[in-house]
Amino acid sequence: MADKANFERDAMQYAPQLYSAALRMTRNPADAEDVVQETFLKAYRAYHTFEAGTNLKAWLYRILTNTYINRYRKQQRRPSEVELGELQDMYLYRRLGEVSGASVSAEEQVLDRFVDSDIKDALESLPEHFRMPVLLADVDGFSYKEIASILDIPIGTVMSRLHRGRKALQQKLWRLAEERGLAGPTT
Amino acid sequence: MSGSCDHAIEYVYHYLDEELTWARQSRIRWHLRRCDACCGAFDFEAKLKAVIRDRGRDAPPPELFERLRALIREEAARDDGR
Repeated sequence: MADKANFERDAMQYAPQLYSAALRMTRNPADAEDVVQETFLKAYRAYHTFEAGTNLKAWLYRILTNTYINRYRKQQRRPSEVELGELQDMYLYRRLGEVSGASVSAEEQVLDRFVDSDIKDALESLPEHFRMPVLLADVDGFSYKEIASILDIPIGTVMSRLHRGRKALQQKLWRLAEERGLAGPTT
Repeated sequence: MSGSCDHAIEYVYHYLDEELTWARQSRIRWHLRRCDACCGAFDFEAKLKAVIRDRGRDAPPPELFERLRALIREEAARDDGR
């Protein structure tokens, strides 16, 4: 059991990551800060139930995602199963390969041209069911098992949502690359 | 495209996420050493993953820390008062 007196010392280091995750979830800085504050308050109150020495970061993320879901459940959108189901694996790489021809490095150069806001907008555009696993895996580096525990869903569901979410993200990035003319052959 | 390519591509994300058994991981690593096409694809996906990790974050407003500390101290004072 963890001592509440140590909460600030133990948990504060995760505040920046939690805030960034909350911002990707809520898409709004004021709401993100509200969610983080509520998370810290709930976590502090429940800290005596946290088993010291286990995964504090995952425990805090679990409270964060529950807080977010409880507050914003009404806005939840159902994933569009049909549309996403048709996407190829490695969607972005394959599309880029079609336009850039034989040059292997051209595909990677396209990635260099995406700026921070491109990536953030693409992440935020994902339906919630896909956005959460993608954020937890790709931005926060959690394992499938940790994500299953944070989102309280089976590990198989984590894998399928992550897989589909990544494809959807790649489709967004591909569209962006196309719009900007980033994907053409390099001269 | 060979059977090994199919196998490697099927598990590309599990491989990059380090979620494979040792046996499967080494089978794919062995394949990547000999297959430029798969190597290119894996490098791209690895780079994309890094780009999402590095460019998908925001820094919190500096006041956030102070607000959180104040919140915890207020709550702690309430506990003590009980």
